[in-house]
Amino acid sequence: MINIEIDGKLVETQRGSTVMDAAHKAGVYIPHFCYHKKLSISANCRMCLVEVEKAPKPLPACATPAADGMKVHTHSEMAVKAQKGVMEFLLINHPLDCPICDQGGECQLQDVAMGYGGNASRYTEEKRVVEPKQIGELISTNEMSRCIQCTRCVRFGQEIAGLMELGMANRSEHAQIMSFVNSSVDSELSGNMIDLCPVGALTSKPFRYTARSWELSRRKSVSPHDSVGANLAVHTKDNKVVRVVAAENEEVNECWISDKDRFSYEGLNSAERLTRPMIKQGGQWIEVEWAAALEYVANGVNQLRRSAGSDQIAALATPNSTFEELYLLQKLMRGIGSGNVDFRLRQSDFSADGKQDGAPWLGMPVAELNTRDRFLIVGSFLRKDHPLLAQRIRQAVKLGAQANIMHASDDDLLMTVTNKAIVAPADLPGVLAQVLKALSIEKQAAVPAEVADVTVGTEAAAIAASLASGKDGAVLLGNFAQQHPEAVQIALLAEQIAVLAGAKFGYLGGAANSVGGYLAGAVPFGGAVQGMSAAAMLAKPRKAYILLNVEPELDMADPQAAMKAMNSADMVVCLSAFKHTGMDYADVMLPIAPFTETSGTFINTEGRAQSFKGAVKPLGDARPAWKVLRVLGNLLDVPGFDFDTSEAVRDEAGIAGNLSNHIEGLALKGAAVTPAGLQRVADVPIYAADALVRRATALQKTHDAATPVAMLHSSELQKLGLNSGDAVRVTQGGVSVQLTAAANDGLAAGTVRVAAGHPATATLGAMFGTITVERA
Amino acid sequence: MEKIKDFFKTFLLIELLKGMALTGRYMFARKITVQFPDEKTPQSFRFRGLHAQRRYENGEERCIGCKLCEAVCPAMAIKIAVAEREDGTRRTTQYDIDLTKCIFCGFCEESCPVDAIVETRVFEYHGEKRGDLYYTKPMLLAVGDKHEAQIAKDRLADSKYR
Repeated sequence: MINIEIDGKLVETQRGSTVMDAAHKAGVYIPHFCYHKKLSISANCRMCLVEVEKAPKPLPACATPAADGMKVHTHSEMAVKAQKGVMEFLLINHPLDCPICDQGGECQLQDVAMGYGGNASRYTEEKRVVEPKQIGELISTNEMSRCIQCTRCVRFGQEIAGLMELGMANRSEHAQIMSFVNSSVDSELSGNMIDLCPVGALTSKPFRYTARSWELSRRKSVSPHDSVGANLAVHTKDNKVVRVVAAENEEVNECWISDKDRFSYEGLNSAERLTRPMIKQGGQWIEVEWAAALEYVANGVNQLRRSAGSDQIAALATPNSTFEELYLLQKLMRGIGSGNVDFRLRQSDFSADGKQDGAPWLGMPVAELNTRDRFLIVGSFLRKDHPLLAQRIRQAVKLGAQANIMHASDDDLLMTVTNKAIVAPADLPGVLAQVLKALSIEKQAAVPAEVADVTVGTEAAAIAASLASGKDGAVLLGNFAQQHPEAVQIALLAEQIAVLAGAKFGYLGGAANSVGGYLAGAVPFGGAVQGMSAAAMLAKPRKAYILLNVEPELDMADPQAAMKAMNSADMVVCLSAFKHTGMDYADVMLPIAPFTETSGTFINTEGRAQSFKGAVKPLGDARPAWKVLRVLGNLLDVPGFDFDTSEAVRDEAGIAGNLSNHIEGLALKGAAVTPAGLQRVADVPIYAADALVRRATALQKTHDAATPVAMLHSSELQKLGLNSGDAVRVTQGGVSVQLTAAANDGLAAGTVRVAAGHPATATLGAMFGTITVERA
Repeated sequence: MEKIKDFFKTFLLIELLKGMALTGRYMFARKITVQFPDEKTPQSFRFRGLHAQRRYENGEERCIGCKLCEAVCPAMAIKIAVAEREDGTRRTTQYDIDLTKCIFCGFCEESCPVDAIVETRVFEYHGEKRGDLYYTKPMLLAVGDKHEAQIAKDRLADSKYR
């Protein structure tokens, strides 16, 4: 530690830190543009010039290392003159028409110019004009002339997003921020550049010209999408959400949020919103009052209970529902004597039900990902499923951690991957077994009998060696591994590998409440009444289904089975914020409030419970789902449904549950037989993952939301006599869809990648299994 | 002593005559009563009367929808909605001034970066219903179009003091 003096204040700061860091500590503000605490130092804006005693010239605070005994003046004559001069230079080419600019009112340059600039411009010559660039559907560059070349966006791309999609071309007055020729900015974190831009050069395209910053009310919220639980600031105007920006939480999302979190709000104002309760009578939908709709549901449920038994009633919820909703749903179901409740919609292996020690979770705090030195990531479309966790792992890899990937598809993770094993889905457990054997030998431990006779391949051996060489590893199972038909085998193997390697073992949670669903008890085991899992409910169709936020053909592991069950059911009750295909088979549609219109809690993948309040009033007649379920509980005479607030629900449920990834009482199996034929590799595209993003218009125009194609390794294409771009017929479960074939050499041999969760592929069968591809 | 003086002043009608003398003086002095509407008082070029929205000479409306006037209005009399026009510029889709709320402080005019919203010399406007005094964008533009010559002249006269 060293002592330095800033404006007469003595501060103790770390050796190697900068004057800017010390000033922050001292609470002294130094104006800056290019400096950002999460980005590298570039010192190109020169706004942070300060006077340092015994230095002949002013020095940039962001790039000057603090030295013991240094005396810094931020308001001395020299410093003020330097700052004023820099400000004048920055404003030479910057248009002085703040009222036109969308950033006006929340612009760093505007603020600093007010505090440190002159009161009038002396510059009367021509200003430079920069042509706007088309860089995608999310970021507007219409005002590129406003750029002051701080290069924050460029550094963000290089350092945080992992891919330099924007760069600075040319020099001096001709310098321009631009993307590669005809390329758009496609990073799943790109929206953060809007927050980073200190001027109005990069602004939000969907938000453009809808409101001025001073008109907005700001409400804290939590992302309902991925399992990080990113903290959001929801900006509202006239009872409407008009934009979402990041709220800082160093332990969760730092200061970043993914584009899914940022732009999904457009779905909230979608024309597809369900605003009135509706009942289908004689094949026609009629709008009714809430009381009538709820009574209709209660009567239907009561009738079925008498005629067919409670066991014939099943409830499904998405893991994007709040903790309170999930808790009340399972309480309602168990109250009427049915344990058929599940939120693990895309999971297909339920053999560990009741044998798990607690709720599967990340196995460590999210922030600890940055400190791991070895990673084994099994079955994860990491960047698309977990943009922010991928970012943290990227930072760890930059500091020297080794990332080992085991997956069916070699997607570019925008980080250095040390070893990868790309195998067909059915071979995943086999390769894990190889790694386990190799690691046992490496660590001189007894090789488990079940894996004793596997032959260790070079990839597995390399992964084992990498894991063995580390101290603080992490073995992480992604969505793909969790949805795998042999998910439990994968988990058992991965846990043993983690134990041997001395690493943490965790699940990269699938959605906002993947942990919360377990803690709320919205699973068919563990509660007072046992029931059927999501898959079993569809395999043995029930007479009635209650769907909470679920769109079965898009949210379930096997859309075919789901739709069959829905179409054959006597009664389907949809609690949904949107009108969806449920209109075809449902009997009652109850409009519920999405996350901005209700209070609730999301429990993220590290087990952190984050409660939030509604930001706006529910649209139309929509009501928070916890209120709907509460009244339904009253109508069905279930005791203990007298909650007045969502907090009361949360307190009764108790968020402090047991988190554990250990599975007790299940043994490893030997190697499985690889099925013949092509295997399906199904990813859920990032902007198809839940009902809200599927309706976010700008996100749906991005490359990530393109219509799914049938991707095959080029050698597989050759075998089938196909070329990239050919129309192909993809058949699964007796249903064919026509897609375009595309070559993807990152895929394992013997696989076809066909995305799930998209209407174009929603008639196909399960996310895993064999699939045929032929020329259309 | 004082009391006696006062008594004589009252008794001899001195006070009354003093008052009547003043009345008499004004009876013959030049009248200053303005015979409105035949006569009108002179107005300053800074007179703050009915609002108007101005256009540029090419017919383009000046307002860029920055909402500064809405933000500064102490009576919250202004309501603006904006949207992006086809040419990519921000324009108002709604610009309403509730003249029953307006206190004619002139802050809107002061805050306007493009001199779009101005207060004209018109003060004898009226409405037969309350709603008639709720001025919408077309009404404000019409006022501007009608009085543009005077408005421009007044801005020019004021410009050397700014």
